[in-house]
Amino acid sequence: MRSIKPIIASNSLAIVLTIVLLLPITAIVAYIITSPLDGLMAKFGTWLHESRDWEFSVFDTQERFAKIGFAIRSIFIAVGISFLYFGVSNWLNMGLARVSSKNSEGRQSTIVEAIQPWIFVGPALVLLFLFLLVPALSTLSLSFQEADGARTSRNYAFLWDPAALGYEQFRYAMRNSLMWLILVPTACISLGLLIAVLADSVKWGIIAKTLIFVPLAISFVGAAVIWRNIFAGGGIQPQEAINGVTPSYQIGLLKSLLGHTAAYNEPLYSLQFWGNFFLMWILVWVQTGFAMVIFSAALRGVPEDTIEAATIDGANPFQMFFRIKLPQIYSTVLVVWTTLVILVLKVFDIPYALSANDDDKLLLATMMENARNNWSVGGDNVDNLFAAIAVMLMLTVVPNMIFNAWRIRREQKDMGH
Amino acid sequence: MISRTLKHVVLALIVFIWVVPFVALVTTSLRSDVASKTSGFWTAFTPTELGHRFGTHDKGDDTAFLVMKGNIFERLNKDKDSYKVDGSIKSIMFKGRVPDPENEGKTKLIRKLVPVNEAMDVRGGEFIFQSNGDFVWTFETESAPKPKNLDVFIDQDPVFGLDAYAEVLFANKNVPNALISSFIVTIPATIIPITIAAFAAYAFAWMSFPGRDWLFVIVVSLMVVPTQLAFLPVLQGFSGVASWATSLNAMLTDCESTQTCQVASKSFASLWVTHTAFGLPLAIYLLRNYIVGLPRELLESARIDGANHLQIFTRLIVPLSVPALASFSIFQFLWVWNDLIVALYIGPSDASDLVFPIRLQKQLGTFKDQLHLLNASAVISIIVPVIVFLSMQKYFIRGLLAGSVKGG
Repeated sequence: MRSIKPIIASNSLAIVLTIVLLLPITAIVAYIITSPLDGLMAKFGTWLHESRDWEFSVFDTQERFAKIGFAIRSIFIAVGISFLYFGVSNWLNMGLARVSSKNSEGRQSTIVEAIQPWIFVGPALVLLFLFLLVPALSTLSLSFQEADGARTSRNYAFLWDPAALGYEQFRYAMRNSLMWLILVPTACISLGLLIAVLADSVKWGIIAKTLIFVPLAISFVGAAVIWRNIFAGGGIQPQEAINGVTPSYQIGLLKSLLGHTAAYNEPLYSLQFWGNFFLMWILVWVQTGFAMVIFSAALRGVPEDTIEAATIDGANPFQMFFRIKLPQIYSTVLVVWTTLVILVLKVFDIPYALSANDDDKLLLATMMENARNNWSVGGDNVDNLFAAIAVMLMLTVVPNMIFNAWRIRREQKDMGH
Repeated sequence: MISRTLKHVVLALIVFIWVVPFVALVTTSLRSDVASKTSGFWTAFTPTELGHRFGTHDKGDDTAFLVMKGNIFERLNKDKDSYKVDGSIKSIMFKGRVPDPENEGKTKLIRKLVPVNEAMDVRGGEFIFQSNGDFVWTFETESAPKPKNLDVFIDQDPVFGLDAYAEVLFANKNVPNALISSFIVTIPATIIPITIAAFAAYAFAWMSFPGRDWLFVIVVSLMVVPTQLAFLPVLQGFSGVASWATSLNAMLTDCESTQTCQVASKSFASLWVTHTAFGLPLAIYLLRNYIVGLPRELLESARIDGANHLQIFTRLIVPLSVPALASFSIFQFLWVWNDLIVALYIGPSDASDLVFPIRLQKQLGTFKDQLHLLNASAVISIIVPVIVFLSMQKYFIRGLLAGSVKGG
């Protein structure tokens, strides 16, 4: 029997070419064909506007409805293209196999099955290759380049040279990262454990857990806005500043509890050094729910007989928790801890939203943003500097990566694959 | 029994700390402009002393009088449809010149709070007010004074309204635009990765091809690569594609006449693709672990019946994997909806196309003196993910547990 390898190769090539040509063209054509939808939506908006007698300008309505039209067709086209890929490529694969196998069923299915796995994993691998693997490596190489491409280690000068751009900032960022790294996971884990234990022993525990869980759905910027009402303050005085004779309003709850007057306007998270802890608390507020849910499930998985044995031996609740339950969920605690550490190292939104330009609150991720936005006066190698800080960020994650890889490998072994 | 009570108290305290910020958010968004910026949200539920400014009479109303009677509350609520002020008047801020006791014949400028029933000099007349808002303004000779604006302090009754929501949703363009943009970004950026990941996960679980296990390990280890590492090259790649598309556009269409050839490098499409790529490792990991756990006999009997992989996937695997698909879609939906950093670097930079987290971050600056608007906008941005989250909580928790506890 003649080798079918050439057939497989030529079929694959045909499929790849078709896809590469077909998908972009379809997308463009679909966008052009559907473009009247925006106008139709705008007309519909105008009609609605006039029949409902809305107060704001007709122009706004038209713009908004046109955008909704764009949204609808974008969503359909984007999703349609991804379905089209799988449909067309599989159909082509089978069709080509039928044609080239010369009616031999065995050959046909061999050809189909040789190509099919790559159709299935292809888009994922291509995307990961183009958007994660290659960029990560090219960032690494960028970080060792001058702006003109020459090799240099100058971009890392902030590590050792006090005169280098970012020297100060990097020290602040590392100091803060270290504080975040220790305090946030510790706080989330201890609070999560405490809540999981308490909530499982009272009747209204499920309500408590849901309420503590909700912040997990909220964006970090949203959380920043929410906590601004508590941590920021001052408050504009009524109508105009009136010297001392009128009540002075403090609008931040915590500031009011601390006895700050309205004249003292600085938000608590802007305090030198101590402000960091208020920013950390926002992350703790968001993430404790995550720790709690996982510990709650893990605690329920602790074998009954160990608990019964301990009860018979007369263990008090504290001994029960620290001697019996905690050791049995130790590995879960470790997993939660690594997840939180990775999250903390990458945290960006909270310090960016509340104290973007304050060196004292920098973390590596916000330092990157600062490098790109504010340091452009410092040289032409801003992008390379950005890359170098990104590499430092990566390095801080590496220990966790190794631990994770080890964990996943062990997991695969346990599952017998 | 003391420990039982202690349990309830500690848990209640924690829940209280967790809930107070939400109360602050919603309360502030329901208050008026003045109330939200001059008093803390916790004062919104009880009568609270607040400052207002009212004019004694309308501008241009210059009929002469000896005695004018009026009501401060009526004056304050004249043009108001909502947040009508009610309560009891405490004092009025007096600013003006009085005879100086130290310098005979001279006057000095003072500011003091004048209580109920005490006369004060307003434009030469005698002004007396009561706590129910009634005021009497008496002149010795008939005169037509200009209206005077007075600052009044009122023990104000709680009042809430939806004006802030109406304002950010209708009068302000940014919030509706951000809402639509967030949907444009989030829906495809959730559906596309889940489609791609489901196919890949099936292949990694049940198909045999060279290098399968190695590729899977690489894919999963990409899960912890910080996305920041990829931003710069991805951005460069997109601007390359954009300039290429621009010249193609110039070649194919007559855009040069209208100068619309420029194709933006940072767009919704670039965000979809980037979010898809960044979401894939976790999606493939979760789905593959789920699919690999499905009963092998089921798949083998389908194979024997002559079904090919595509049929098995669409007819058998997808329906059986609904829980896993659901839990990843929630993850991805929440992650994309709440994402700030990817949108900041890769997403469209046009003001009308900004996604909600970026808009909200900007509003922290622009609305810093209009806290009711800031909080209303935050409520709107939060409500979508919270509804999704609460309605599909079961799947979310299942996904969390699958991602973190399995094999732990």
